[in-house]
Amino acid sequence: MSATLTLAGRRRKRPIGRYVRIAGGITACIMFLFPIFWMVLTSFKMPRDIFTTPPTFFFTPTIETYTSYLQHADIPNRMLNTVIVACGAGLISIAAGSMAGYALARIKVKGLATMGALILLSRGVPPIALAVPMFLVARNLGLTDKHITLILAYCTFLIPYVMWLMRGFFKALPEELEESAMLDGCSRFGAFFRIIVPISLPGLLSTLIFSVILAWEELLFALVLTNRYASTIPVAIAGIAGDSVNGANWGALTAVGTLTVLPVVVFALLVQKWLIKGLADGATKG
Amino acid sequence: MTVVDQMAPGARRIRGRGRAADVVSRWAFMAPAALLLLAVLAYPIFYTIQISFAELDLGTFTATEWVGWDNYLTVIEDERFWNSLEVTGIYLVLALPLQMVLGFGIAFLINAEWKGRGLIRALFIIPMVVAPVVAGGVWRMMLDPLWGLVNYWMGLVGLGPFDWLGDPKLAMITIVIIDTWRWTPFVTLIATAALLSLPRDVFEAAEIDGANWWTTFWSITLPLLVPIIAATFVVRWLGAVKMFDIALAATNGGPGRATSVINLFIYEEAFRSLKFAESAAMAVIVLVITMVLTAVFLRGTRKLEGMY
Repeated sequence: MSATLTLAGRRRKRPIGRYVRIAGGITACIMFLFPIFWMVLTSFKMPRDIFTTPPTFFFTPTIETYTSYLQHADIPNRMLNTVIVACGAGLISIAAGSMAGYALARIKVKGLATMGALILLSRGVPPIALAVPMFLVARNLGLTDKHITLILAYCTFLIPYVMWLMRGFFKALPEELEESAMLDGCSRFGAFFRIIVPISLPGLLSTLIFSVILAWEELLFALVLTNRYASTIPVAIAGIAGDSVNGANWGALTAVGTLTVLPVVVFALLVQKWLIKGLADGATKG
Repeated sequence: MTVVDQMAPGARRIRGRGRAADVVSRWAFMAPAALLLLAVLAYPIFYTIQISFAELDLGTFTATEWVGWDNYLTVIEDERFWNSLEVTGIYLVLALPLQMVLGFGIAFLINAEWKGRGLIRALFIIPMVVAPVVAGGVWRMMLDPLWGLVNYWMGLVGLGPFDWLGDPKLAMITIVIIDTWRWTPFVTLIATAALLSLPRDVFEAAEIDGANWWTTFWSITLPLLVPIIAATFVVRWLGAVKMFDIALAATNGGPGRATSVINLFIYEEAFRSLKFAESAAMAVIVLVITMVLTAVFLRGTRKLEGMY
Protein backbone atom coordinates (compact mmCIF):
# COMPACT_ATOMS: atom_id res chain seq x y z
CA MET A 1 0.00 0.00 0.00
CA SER A 2 2.96 2.28 0.61
CA ALA A 3 3.33 2.57 -3.12
CA THR A 4 0.13 4.61 -3.09
CA LEU A 5 2.26 7.66 -2.93
CA THR A 6 3.67 8.58 -6.24
CA LEU A 7 7.12 9.61 -5.17
CA ALA A 8 9.45 9.90 -8.10
CA GLY A 9 12.23 8.27 -6.09
CA ARG A 10 10.19 5.28 -5.13
CA ARG A 11 9.03 4.76 -8.66
CA ARG A 12 12.54 4.64 -9.91
CA LYS A 13 13.47 2.15 -7.23
CA ARG A 14 10.61 -0.28 -7.84
CA PRO A 15 9.33 0.06 -11.37
CA ILE A 16 8.08 -3.54 -11.44
CA GLY A 17 5.49 -2.85 -8.74
CA ARG A 18 4.12 -0.04 -10.82
CA TYR A 19 3.77 -2.18 -13.94
CA VAL A 20 2.09 -4.90 -11.93
CA ARG A 21 -0.40 -2.33 -10.65
CA ILE A 22 -1.07 -0.96 -14.12
CA ALA A 23 -1.61 -4.46 -15.48
CA GLY A 24 -3.84 -5.32 -12.52
CA GLY A 25 -5.87 -2.16 -13.01
CA ILE A 26 -6.42 -2.85 -16.69
CA THR A 27 -7.37 -6.46 -15.97
CA ALA A 28 -9.89 -5.37 -13.34
CA CYS A 29 -11.33 -2.84 -15.75
CA ILE A 30 -11.74 -5.42 -18.51
CA MET A 31 -13.38 -7.86 -16.10
CA PHE A 32 -15.84 -5.25 -14.93
CA LEU A 33 -16.70 -4.11 -18.44
CA PHE A 34 -17.03 -7.57 -19.94
CA PRO A 35 -20.68 -8.24 -18.94
CA ILE A 36 -21.72 -5.01 -20.65
CA PHE A 37 -19.73 -5.89 -23.74
CA TRP A 38 -21.36 -9.31 -23.77
CA MET A 39 -24.81 -7.78 -23.43
CA VAL A 40 -24.27 -5.45 -26.38
CA LEU A 41 -22.77 -8.27 -28.44
CA THR A 42 -25.66 -10.62 -27.70
CA SER A 43 -28.21 -7.99 -28.65
CA PHE A 44 -26.89 -8.10 -32.22
CA LYS A 45 -27.13 -11.89 -32.54
CA MET A 46 -29.72 -14.06 -34.20
CA PRO A 47 -31.26 -16.61 -31.78
CA ARG A 48 -29.17 -19.37 -33.37
CA ASP A 49 -26.02 -17.41 -32.49
CA ILE A 50 -27.16 -16.82 -28.92
CA PHE A 51 -27.65 -20.47 -28.07
CA THR A 52 -24.36 -21.99 -29.10
CA THR A 53 -21.68 -24.07 -27.46
CA PRO A 54 -19.11 -22.63 -27.20
CA PRO A 55 -20.55 -19.13 -26.82
CA THR A 56 -19.57 -17.34 -29.98
CA PHE A 57 -17.83 -14.02 -30.46
CA PHE A 58 -17.95 -14.10 -34.25
CA PHE A 59 -21.22 -13.98 -36.13
CA THR A 60 -23.08 -11.92 -38.69
CA PRO A 61 -24.51 -9.02 -36.72
CA THR A 62 -28.18 -8.22 -37.15
CA ILE A 63 -30.50 -5.60 -35.74
CA GLU A 64 -33.47 -7.90 -36.08
CA THR A 65 -34.00 -8.24 -32.34
CA TYR A 66 -34.23 -4.47 -32.04
CA THR A 67 -36.62 -3.98 -34.94
CA SER A 68 -38.91 -6.91 -34.13
CA TYR A 69 -39.03 -6.39 -30.40
CA LEU A 70 -39.46 -2.66 -30.64
CA GLN A 71 -42.45 -3.05 -32.92
CA HIS A 72 -44.30 -5.70 -30.97
CA ALA A 73 -43.79 -4.59 -27.42
CA ASP A 74 -44.60 -1.21 -25.96
CA ILE A 75 -40.94 -0.46 -25.46
CA PRO A 76 -40.93 3.00 -27.14
CA ASN A 77 -43.84 4.04 -24.97
CA ARG A 78 -42.12 2.81 -21.83
CA MET A 79 -38.94 4.56 -22.88
CA LEU A 80 -40.84 7.83 -23.14
CA ASN A 81 -42.42 7.22 -19.72
CA THR A 82 -39.03 6.58 -18.21
CA VAL A 83 -37.66 9.81 -19.70
CA ILE A 84 -40.63 11.85 -18.41
CA VAL A 85 -40.52 10.38 -14.94
CA ALA A 86 -36.75 10.44 -14.53
CA CYS A 87 -36.38 14.02 -15.78
CA GLY A 88 -39.39 15.25 -13.82
CA ALA A 89 -38.18 13.71 -10.59
CA GLY A 90 -34.63 14.87 -11.22
CA LEU A 91 -35.64 18.49 -11.85
CA ILE A 92 -37.97 18.77 -8.86
CA SER A 93 -35.38 17.15 -6.62
CA ILE A 94 -32.51 19.31 -7.77
CA ALA A 95 -34.58 22.48 -7.18
CA ALA A 96 -35.91 21.56 -3.74
CA GLY A 97 -32.85 19.61 -2.67
CA SER A 98 -30.22 22.16 -3.59
CA MET A 99 -32.08 24.95 -1.77
CA ALA A 100 -32.38 22.78 1.30
CA GLY A 101 -28.74 21.77 0.98
CA TYR A 102 -27.81 25.42 0.85
CA ALA A 103 -29.84 26.11 3.98
CA LEU A 104 -28.02 23.31 5.79
CA ALA A 105 -24.61 24.47 4.63
CA ARG A 106 -24.97 28.17 5.35
CA ILE A 107 -27.89 29.23 7.49
CA LYS A 108 -27.56 28.52 11.17
CA VAL A 109 -30.87 28.06 12.91
CA LYS A 110 -31.33 25.33 15.48
CA GLY A 111 -34.51 23.72 14.20
CA LEU A 112 -33.10 23.71 10.72
CA ALA A 113 -30.19 21.48 11.66
CA THR A 114 -32.49 18.94 13.32
CA MET A 115 -34.73 18.92 10.31
CA GLY A 116 -31.76 18.43 8.03
CA ALA A 117 -30.48 15.56 10.14
CA LEU A 118 -33.91 13.93 9.97
CA ILE A 119 -34.05 14.22 6.21
CA LEU A 120 -30.56 12.79 5.86
CA LEU A 121 -31.46 9.95 8.23
CA SER A 122 -34.39 9.18 5.93
CA ARG A 123 -31.83 7.75 3.52
CA GLY A 124 -32.08 4.68 5.71
CA VAL A 125 -35.80 4.18 5.17
CA PRO A 126 -36.39 1.01 3.13
CA PRO A 127 -38.46 1.91 0.04
CA ILE A 128 -40.75 -1.05 0.64
CA ALA A 129 -41.97 0.70 3.80
CA LEU A 130 -43.12 3.54 1.53
CA ALA A 131 -44.32 1.44 -1.38
CA VAL A 132 -47.12 -0.26 0.55
CA PRO A 133 -48.86 2.91 1.82
CA MET A 134 -48.17 4.76 -1.44
CA PHE A 135 -49.91 2.03 -3.38
CA LEU A 136 -52.92 2.13 -1.05
CA VAL A 137 -53.18 5.92 -1.06
CA ALA A 138 -52.61 6.19 -4.82
CA ARG A 139 -55.29 3.58 -5.41
CA ASN A 140 -57.83 5.35 -3.26
CA LEU A 141 -57.08 8.71 -4.85
CA GLY A 142 -57.12 7.28 -8.36
CA LEU A 143 -53.47 8.19 -8.86
CA THR A 144 -52.06 4.80 -9.84
CA ASP A 145 -50.44 4.50 -13.26
CA LYS A 146 -49.80 8.23 -13.56
CA HIS A 147 -46.45 9.89 -14.21
CA ILE A 148 -46.84 12.37 -11.38
CA THR A 149 -47.24 9.60 -8.79
CA LEU A 150 -43.98 8.00 -9.79
CA ILE A 151 -42.26 11.40 -9.91
CA LEU A 152 -43.36 12.15 -6.35
CA ALA A 153 -42.36 8.68 -5.20
CA TYR A 154 -38.86 9.18 -6.60
CA CYS A 155 -38.54 12.47 -4.74
CA THR A 156 -38.48 10.46 -1.50
CA PHE A 157 -35.00 9.23 -2.17
CA LEU A 158 -33.74 11.86 -4.62
CA ILE A 159 -34.30 14.96 -2.46
CA PRO A 160 -32.30 13.62 0.50
CA TYR A 161 -29.61 12.49 -1.94
CA VAL A 162 -29.36 15.91 -3.61
CA MET A 163 -29.36 17.67 -0.23
CA TRP A 164 -26.55 15.49 1.01
CA LEU A 165 -24.39 16.08 -2.08
CA MET A 166 -25.11 19.78 -2.49
CA ARG A 167 -24.62 20.59 1.17
CA GLY A 168 -21.03 19.43 0.90
CA PHE A 169 -20.64 21.30 -2.36
CA PHE A 170 -21.96 24.62 -0.98
CA LYS A 171 -19.92 24.28 2.20
CA ALA A 172 -16.74 24.26 0.14
CA LEU A 173 -17.58 27.65 -1.40
CA PRO A 174 -16.16 30.76 0.31
CA GLU A 175 -18.80 32.59 2.32
CA GLU A 176 -17.60 36.00 1.12
CA LEU A 177 -19.40 35.31 -2.15
CA GLU A 178 -22.90 35.87 -0.81
CA GLU A 179 -21.84 38.24 1.92
CA SER A 180 -20.58 40.84 -0.50
CA ALA A 181 -23.66 40.41 -2.66
CA MET A 182 -25.95 40.86 0.31
CA LEU A 183 -24.03 43.95 1.39
CA ASP A 184 -24.80 45.34 -2.04
CA GLY A 185 -28.48 44.95 -1.30
CA CYS A 186 -29.19 41.47 -2.55
CA SER A 187 -31.55 39.34 -0.50
CA ARG A 188 -30.45 35.87 0.49
CA PHE A 189 -32.56 34.55 -2.35
CA GLY A 190 -31.00 36.97 -4.80
CA ALA A 191 -27.54 36.00 -3.61
CA PHE A 192 -28.36 32.32 -3.97
CA PHE A 193 -29.82 32.50 -7.45
CA ARG A 194 -27.50 35.17 -8.88
CA ILE A 195 -24.19 34.20 -7.29
CA ILE A 196 -24.25 30.69 -5.86
CA VAL A 197 -26.24 28.86 -8.52
CA PRO A 198 -24.18 30.12 -11.50
CA ILE A 199 -20.84 29.19 -9.97
CA SER A 200 -22.21 25.83 -8.78
CA LEU A 201 -23.54 24.85 -12.20
CA PRO A 202 -21.06 22.00 -12.76
CA GLY A 203 -21.93 20.49 -9.38
CA LEU A 204 -25.64 21.04 -9.88
CA LEU A 205 -25.54 19.54 -13.35
CA SER A 206 -23.67 16.40 -12.34
CA THR A 207 -25.95 15.93 -9.33
CA LEU A 208 -28.96 16.38 -11.60
CA ILE A 209 -27.64 13.82 -14.07
CA PHE A 210 -26.94 11.33 -11.34
CA SER A 211 -30.41 11.86 -9.88
CA VAL A 212 -31.97 11.27 -13.29
CA ILE A 213 -29.92 8.05 -13.57
CA LEU A 214 -31.12 6.84 -10.16
CA ALA A 215 -34.73 7.48 -11.16
CA TRP A 216 -34.13 5.98 -14.61
CA GLU A 217 -33.21 2.58 -13.21
CA GLU A 218 -35.62 2.41 -10.28
CA LEU A 219 -37.72 -0.73 -10.18
CA LEU A 220 -39.70 -1.18 -6.96
CA PHE A 221 -41.91 1.93 -7.06
CA ALA A 222 -42.40 1.50 -10.81
CA LEU A 223 -43.61 -2.06 -10.29
CA VAL A 224 -45.98 -1.08 -7.53
CA LEU A 225 -47.37 2.25 -8.74
CA THR A 226 -47.79 1.66 -12.47
CA ASN A 227 -49.25 -1.11 -14.55
CA ARG A 228 -49.75 -0.13 -18.18
CA TYR A 229 -49.98 3.48 -19.16
CA ALA A 230 -47.09 4.93 -17.14
CA SER A 231 -44.95 1.82 -16.82
CA THR A 232 -41.20 2.17 -17.22
CA ILE A 233 -38.37 0.27 -18.88
CA PRO A 234 -36.99 -1.47 -15.75
CA VAL A 235 -40.40 -3.07 -15.26
CA ALA A 236 -40.25 -4.41 -18.81
CA ILE A 237 -36.78 -5.81 -18.22
CA ALA A 238 -37.82 -7.47 -14.98
CA GLY A 239 -40.67 -9.04 -16.91
CA ILE A 240 -38.42 -10.36 -19.67
CA ALA A 241 -35.77 -11.66 -17.28
CA GLY A 242 -38.29 -13.30 -14.99
CA ASP A 243 -40.38 -14.96 -17.69
CA SER A 244 -40.32 -18.50 -16.37
CA VAL A 245 -43.02 -19.72 -18.75
CA ASN A 246 -41.30 -19.16 -22.08
CA GLY A 247 -37.81 -18.99 -20.64
CA ALA A 248 -35.91 -15.72 -20.70
CA ASN A 249 -35.77 -14.15 -24.15
CA TRP A 250 -32.11 -13.25 -24.16
CA GLY A 251 -32.26 -11.34 -27.39
CA ALA A 252 -34.99 -9.07 -26.03
CA LEU A 253 -33.30 -8.79 -22.66
CA THR A 254 -29.99 -7.66 -24.12
CA ALA A 255 -31.53 -5.37 -26.73
CA VAL A 256 -33.75 -3.54 -24.26
CA GLY A 257 -30.92 -3.61 -21.73
CA THR A 258 -28.57 -2.00 -24.24
CA LEU A 259 -31.13 0.69 -25.07
CA THR A 260 -31.57 1.40 -21.35
CA VAL A 261 -27.92 1.54 -20.49
CA LEU A 262 -26.58 3.38 -23.53
CA PRO A 263 -27.95 6.91 -22.93
CA VAL A 264 -27.07 6.70 -19.25
CA VAL A 265 -23.49 5.68 -19.96
CA VAL A 266 -23.08 8.54 -22.43
CA PHE A 267 -24.34 11.10 -19.90
CA ALA A 268 -22.28 9.62 -17.08
CA LEU A 269 -19.10 9.74 -19.17
CA LEU A 270 -19.82 13.35 -20.19
CA VAL A 271 -19.80 14.49 -16.58
CA GLN A 272 -17.43 11.85 -15.23
CA LYS A 273 -14.96 14.29 -13.74
CA TRP A 274 -17.57 16.10 -11.68
CA LEU A 275 -19.33 12.87 -10.93
CA ILE A 276 -16.27 11.31 -9.33
CA LYS A 277 -15.53 14.46 -7.38
CA GLY A 278 -19.12 14.77 -6.23
CA LEU A 279 -19.24 11.15 -5.12
CA ALA A 280 -15.99 11.41 -3.25
CA ASP A 281 -16.90 14.67 -1.54
CA GLY A 282 -20.37 13.43 -0.76
CA ALA A 283 -19.05 10.34 0.97
CA THR A 284 -16.31 12.04 2.92
CA LYS A 285 -17.68 15.48 3.71
CA GLY A 286 -21.34 14.50 4.01
CA MET B 1 -26.80 37.10 8.79
CA THR B 2 -24.99 38.40 11.84
CA VAL B 3 -22.29 39.60 9.54
CA VAL B 4 -24.76 41.95 7.97
CA ASP B 5 -25.76 43.36 11.35
CA GLN B 6 -22.19 44.04 12.34
CA MET B 7 -21.46 46.00 9.22
CA ALA B 8 -23.95 48.69 10.12
CA PRO B 9 -23.31 51.50 7.61
CA GLY B 10 -23.47 49.48 4.45
CA ALA B 11 -26.33 47.30 5.55
CA ARG B 12 -29.06 49.84 6.08
CA ARG B 13 -31.14 48.73 3.15
CA ILE B 14 -31.15 45.11 4.34
CA ARG B 15 -31.99 46.03 7.90
CA GLY B 16 -34.92 48.04 6.63
CA ARG B 17 -36.63 44.84 5.64
CA GLY B 18 -36.57 43.71 9.25
CA ARG B 19 -35.67 40.51 10.98
CA ALA B 20 -38.98 38.82 10.28
CA ALA B 21 -38.33 38.81 6.56
CA ASP B 22 -34.92 37.39 7.27
CA VAL B 23 -36.26 34.51 9.33
CA VAL B 24 -38.83 33.81 6.64
CA SER B 25 -36.16 33.67 3.98
CA ARG B 26 -34.10 31.26 6.07
CA TRP B 27 -36.94 28.78 6.30
CA ALA B 28 -37.99 29.45 2.73
CA PHE B 29 -34.90 27.61 1.54
CA MET B 30 -35.91 24.54 3.47
CA ALA B 31 -39.65 24.75 2.86
CA PRO B 32 -40.03 23.09 -0.57
CA ALA B 33 -37.98 20.04 0.39
CA ALA B 34 -39.52 19.82 3.85
CA LEU B 35 -43.11 20.07 2.59
CA LEU B 36 -42.58 17.59 -0.22
CA LEU B 37 -40.94 15.08 2.07
CA LEU B 38 -43.63 15.56 4.68
CA ALA B 39 -46.21 14.56 2.09
CA VAL B 40 -44.43 11.72 0.30
CA LEU B 41 -42.08 10.41 3.01
CA ALA B 42 -43.28 11.22 6.52
CA TYR B 43 -46.96 10.64 5.82
CA PRO B 44 -46.46 7.21 4.18
CA ILE B 45 -44.28 6.08 7.09
CA PHE B 46 -46.98 7.17 9.50
CA TYR B 47 -49.58 5.39 7.37
CA THR B 48 -47.50 2.19 7.31
CA ILE B 49 -47.36 2.21 11.09
CA GLN B 50 -51.11 2.74 11.21
CA ILE B 51 -51.83 -0.15 8.82
CA SER B 52 -49.50 -2.41 10.75
CA PHE B 53 -51.80 -2.16 13.75
CA ALA B 54 -54.99 -2.57 11.77
CA GLU B 55 -56.94 -4.90 9.60
CA LEU B 56 -57.04 -3.92 5.98
CA ASP B 57 -60.25 -4.20 4.00
CA LEU B 58 -59.36 -5.50 0.56
CA GLY B 59 -62.60 -4.16 -0.87
CA THR B 60 -61.86 -0.53 -0.16
CA PHE B 61 -58.11 -0.80 0.48
CA THR B 62 -58.43 1.14 3.72
CA ALA B 63 -57.52 0.29 7.27
CA THR B 64 -60.60 -0.69 9.21
CA GLU B 65 -60.30 -2.31 12.58
CA TRP B 66 -57.60 -1.68 15.14
CA VAL B 67 -56.08 -5.05 16.00
CA GLY B 68 -53.19 -4.10 18.27
CA TRP B 69 -50.09 -6.24 17.90
CA ASP B 70 -51.84 -9.06 16.01
CA ASN B 71 -50.08 -8.43 12.71
CA TYR B 72 -46.74 -8.32 14.45
CA LEU B 73 -47.42 -11.60 16.22
CA THR B 74 -48.40 -13.25 12.93
CA VAL B 75 -45.23 -12.00 11.33
CA ILE B 76 -42.97 -13.05 14.19
CA GLU B 77 -44.39 -16.55 14.03
CA ASP B 78 -43.80 -16.72 10.30
CA GLU B 79 -40.72 -18.79 9.56
CA ARG B 80 -40.38 -17.27 6.11
CA PHE B 81 -39.95 -13.81 7.65
CA TRP B 82 -37.05 -14.99 9.79
CA ASN B 83 -35.61 -16.82 6.81
CA SER B 84 -35.68 -13.58 4.83
CA LEU B 85 -33.98 -11.65 7.61
CA GLU B 86 -31.32 -14.35 7.78
CA VAL B 87 -30.84 -14.36 4.00
CA THR B 88 -30.50 -10.58 4.02
CA GLY B 89 -28.01 -10.80 6.87
CA ILE B 90 -25.89 -13.35 5.02
CA TYR B 91 -25.97 -11.23 1.89
CA LEU B 92 -24.87 -8.12 3.80
CA VAL B 93 -22.12 -9.92 5.72
CA LEU B 94 -20.70 -11.40 2.51
CA ALA B 95 -21.20 -8.51 0.09
CA LEU B 96 -20.26 -5.42 2.09
CA PRO B 97 -16.75 -6.45 3.26
CA LEU B 98 -16.02 -7.97 -0.14
CA GLN B 99 -16.99 -4.76 -1.92
CA MET B 100 -15.01 -2.59 0.49
CA VAL B 101 -11.83 -4.67 0.15
CA LEU B 102 -12.15 -5.09 -3.61
CA GLY B 103 -13.08 -1.43 -4.07
CA PHE B 104 -10.08 -0.08 -2.18
CA GLY B 105 -7.80 -2.74 -3.65
CA ILE B 106 -8.76 -1.90 -7.22
CA ALA B 107 -8.47 1.81 -6.42
CA PHE B 108 -4.90 1.16 -5.32
CA LEU B 109 -4.22 -0.61 -8.62
CA ILE B 110 -5.78 1.95 -10.93
CA ASN B 111 -4.14 4.85 -9.11
CA ALA B 112 -0.75 3.81 -10.48
CA GLU B 113 0.47 6.76 -12.47
CA TRP B 114 0.39 6.35 -16.22
CA LYS B 115 -1.18 7.93 -19.27
CA GLY B 116 -4.32 5.81 -19.29
CA ARG B 117 -5.23 6.37 -15.64
CA GLY B 118 -7.96 8.91 -16.33
CA LEU B 119 -9.53 6.69 -18.96
CA ILE B 120 -9.54 3.61 -16.73
CA ARG B 121 -11.12 5.59 -13.93
CA ALA B 122 -13.80 6.95 -16.28
CA LEU B 123 -14.56 3.45 -17.57
CA PHE B 124 -15.16 2.28 -14.02
CA ILE B 125 -18.22 4.52 -13.92
CA ILE B 126 -19.99 2.33 -16.48
CA PRO B 127 -20.99 -0.69 -14.34
CA MET B 128 -22.17 1.78 -11.72
CA VAL B 129 -24.84 3.25 -13.96
CA VAL B 130 -26.14 -0.03 -15.35
CA ALA B 131 -29.64 -0.50 -13.98
CA PRO B 132 -29.51 -3.22 -11.29
CA VAL B 133 -32.35 -5.05 -12.99
CA VAL B 134 -30.32 -5.15 -16.22
CA ALA B 135 -27.30 -6.35 -14.27
CA GLY B 136 -29.36 -9.14 -12.74
CA GLY B 137 -30.76 -10.18 -16.11
CA VAL B 138 -27.48 -10.12 -18.00
CA TRP B 139 -25.66 -12.07 -15.29
CA ARG B 140 -28.46 -14.57 -15.24
CA MET B 141 -27.79 -15.07 -18.93
CA MET B 142 -24.03 -15.43 -18.47
CA LEU B 143 -24.47 -17.89 -15.60
CA ASP B 144 -27.02 -20.04 -17.39
CA PRO B 145 -26.12 -23.70 -16.71
CA LEU B 146 -26.71 -24.74 -20.30
CA TRP B 147 -25.73 -21.88 -22.58
CA GLY B 148 -23.97 -19.44 -20.25
CA LEU B 149 -20.40 -18.57 -21.04
CA VAL B 150 -19.19 -18.60 -17.42
CA ASN B 151 -19.77 -22.33 -17.06
CA TYR B 152 -18.29 -22.92 -20.52
CA TRP B 153 -15.12 -21.06 -19.64
CA MET B 154 -14.79 -22.69 -16.26
CA GLY B 155 -15.29 -26.05 -17.96
CA LEU B 156 -12.26 -25.29 -20.15
CA VAL B 157 -10.06 -25.31 -17.05
CA GLY B 158 -11.84 -28.33 -15.59
CA LEU B 159 -14.17 -26.57 -13.14
CA GLY B 160 -17.85 -27.14 -12.77
CA PRO B 161 -20.39 -27.31 -14.16
CA PHE B 162 -21.96 -25.11 -11.48
CA ASP B 163 -25.67 -24.65 -11.07
CA TRP B 164 -25.30 -20.95 -10.22
CA LEU B 165 -29.00 -20.21 -9.94
CA GLY B 166 -30.43 -23.61 -9.05
CA ASP B 167 -28.32 -24.58 -6.05
CA PRO B 168 -29.55 -22.82 -2.87
CA LYS B 169 -26.06 -22.10 -1.48
CA LEU B 170 -24.58 -21.11 -4.82
CA ALA B 171 -27.55 -18.87 -5.61
CA MET B 172 -26.65 -16.64 -2.67
CA ILE B 173 -23.04 -16.50 -3.87
CA THR B 174 -24.38 -15.58 -7.31
CA ILE B 175 -26.39 -12.70 -5.86
CA VAL B 176 -23.31 -11.51 -3.98
CA ILE B 177 -21.22 -11.70 -7.17
CA ILE B 178 -23.73 -9.69 -9.20
CA ASP B 179 -24.16 -7.12 -6.45
CA THR B 180 -20.40 -6.85 -6.06
CA TRP B 181 -19.98 -6.36 -9.80
CA ARG B 182 -22.53 -3.57 -9.72
CA TRP B 183 -21.30 -1.76 -6.60
CA THR B 184 -17.54 -2.27 -6.31
CA PRO B 185 -16.90 0.49 -8.90
CA PHE B 186 -18.76 2.90 -6.63
CA VAL B 187 -16.41 2.10 -3.76
CA THR B 188 -13.45 2.20 -6.14
CA LEU B 189 -14.25 5.71 -7.34
CA ILE B 190 -14.56 7.07 -3.81
CA ALA B 191 -11.38 5.24 -2.82
CA THR B 192 -9.33 6.57 -5.75
CA ALA B 193 -10.11 10.12 -4.67
CA ALA B 194 -9.35 9.25 -1.05
CA LEU B 195 -6.02 7.63 -1.87
CA LEU B 196 -4.96 10.61 -3.96
CA SER B 197 -5.71 13.00 -1.13
CA LEU B 198 -3.38 11.27 1.33
CA PRO B 199 -0.65 13.66 2.54
CA ARG B 200 2.64 12.74 0.93
CA ASP B 201 5.05 14.17 3.49
CA VAL B 202 4.06 11.58 6.09
CA PHE B 203 5.00 8.79 3.70
CA GLU B 204 8.25 10.48 2.81
CA ALA B 205 9.12 10.74 6.49
CA ALA B 206 8.28 7.06 7.02
CA GLU B 207 10.46 6.09 4.11
CA ILE B 208 13.39 8.12 5.41
CA ASP B 209 12.94 6.41 8.78
CA GLY B 210 13.25 3.09 6.96
CA ALA B 211 9.73 1.78 7.56
CA ASN B 212 8.90 -1.29 5.48
CA TRP B 213 5.70 -1.36 3.43
CA TRP B 214 3.74 -3.36 5.95
CA THR B 215 4.50 -0.95 8.79
CA THR B 216 3.71 1.96 6.51
CA PHE B 217 0.44 0.39 5.47
CA TRP B 218 -0.59 -0.68 8.96
CA SER B 219 0.38 2.42 10.93
CA ILE B 220 0.03 5.21 8.37
CA THR B 221 -2.11 4.42 5.31
CA LEU B 222 -4.83 2.53 7.13
CA PRO B 223 -5.33 5.00 10.02
CA LEU B 224 -5.43 7.88 7.52
CA LEU B 225 -8.04 6.06 5.47
CA VAL B 226 -10.21 4.90 8.37
CA PRO B 227 -12.65 7.85 8.30
CA ILE B 228 -13.19 7.46 4.56
CA ILE B 229 -13.52 3.68 4.78
CA ALA B 230 -16.10 4.12 7.53
CA ALA B 231 -18.03 6.78 5.62
CA THR B 232 -18.03 4.71 2.43
CA PHE B 233 -19.18 1.69 4.40
CA VAL B 234 -22.17 3.61 5.78
CA VAL B 235 -23.17 4.83 2.32
CA ARG B 236 -22.85 1.33 0.89
CA TRP B 237 -24.79 -0.11 3.83
CA LEU B 238 -27.64 2.32 3.20
CA GLY B 239 -27.78 1.12 -0.41
CA ALA B 240 -27.36 -2.58 0.34
CA VAL B 241 -30.21 -2.86 2.86
CA LYS B 242 -32.53 -1.75 0.06
CA MET B 243 -31.34 -4.45 -2.35
CA PHE B 244 -34.28 -5.71 -4.36
CA ASP B 245 -33.87 -5.43 -8.14
CA ILE B 246 -30.88 -7.74 -8.53
CA ALA B 247 -32.49 -10.55 -6.57
CA LEU B 248 -35.78 -10.10 -8.44
CA ALA B 249 -34.15 -10.22 -11.87
CA ALA B 250 -31.53 -12.90 -11.22
CA THR B 251 -33.20 -15.46 -8.98
CA ASN B 252 -36.60 -14.06 -7.99
CA GLY B 253 -35.82 -15.16 -4.45
CA GLY B 254 -35.20 -18.76 -5.37
CA PRO B 255 -34.45 -21.54 -5.49
CA GLY B 256 -37.01 -22.06 -2.76
CA ARG B 257 -36.43 -19.09 -0.49
CA ALA B 258 -32.64 -19.17 -0.63
CA THR B 259 -32.24 -15.62 -1.96
CA SER B 260 -35.51 -14.12 -0.80
CA VAL B 261 -34.05 -10.94 0.69
CA ILE B 262 -36.35 -9.06 3.01
CA ASN B 263 -37.41 -6.37 0.53
CA LEU B 264 -38.34 -8.98 -2.04
CA PHE B 265 -40.22 -11.03 0.55
CA ILE B 266 -42.25 -8.06 1.80
CA TYR B 267 -42.96 -7.05 -1.80
CA GLU B 268 -44.32 -10.48 -2.60
CA GLU B 269 -46.36 -10.72 0.57
CA ALA B 270 -47.90 -7.32 -0.11
CA PHE B 271 -48.45 -7.28 -3.84
CA ARG B 272 -48.76 -10.95 -4.76
CA SER B 273 -50.46 -12.34 -1.64
CA LEU B 274 -52.20 -9.02 -0.85
CA LYS B 275 -51.33 -9.29 2.84
CA PHE B 276 -50.90 -5.56 3.27
CA ALA B 277 -51.29 -5.38 7.03
CA GLU B 278 -48.70 -8.08 7.72
CA SER B 279 -46.40 -6.54 5.14
CA ALA B 280 -46.73 -3.18 6.86
CA ALA B 281 -45.79 -4.80 10.16
CA MET B 282 -42.74 -6.39 8.54
CA ALA B 283 -41.80 -3.09 6.92
CA VAL B 284 -41.98 -1.35 10.29
CA ILE B 285 -39.76 -4.01 11.89
CA VAL B 286 -37.24 -3.67 9.07
CA LEU B 287 -37.41 0.11 9.32
CA VAL B 288 -36.61 -0.02 13.04
CA ILE B 289 -33.74 -2.50 12.58
CA THR B 290 -32.29 -0.42 9.74
CA MET B 291 -32.53 2.83 11.69
CA VAL B 292 -30.93 1.34 14.80
CA LEU B 293 -28.06 -0.21 12.84
CA THR B 294 -27.56 2.99 10.83
CA ALA B 295 -27.37 4.99 14.06
CA VAL B 296 -24.87 2.48 15.47
CA PHE B 297 -22.74 2.70 12.32
CA LEU B 298 -22.86 6.51 12.31
CA ARG B 299 -21.78 6.57 15.95
CA GLY B 300 -19.03 4.10 15.21
CA THR B 301 -17.89 6.31 12.34
CA ARG B 302 -17.69 9.33 14.66
CA LYS B 303 -15.76 7.33 17.22
CA LEU B 304 -13.30 6.04 14.66
CA GLU B 305 -12.81 9.58 13.39
CA GLY B 306 -12.12 10.72 16.93
CA MET B 307 -9.61 7.95 17.54
CA TYR B 308 -7.42 8.71 14.58
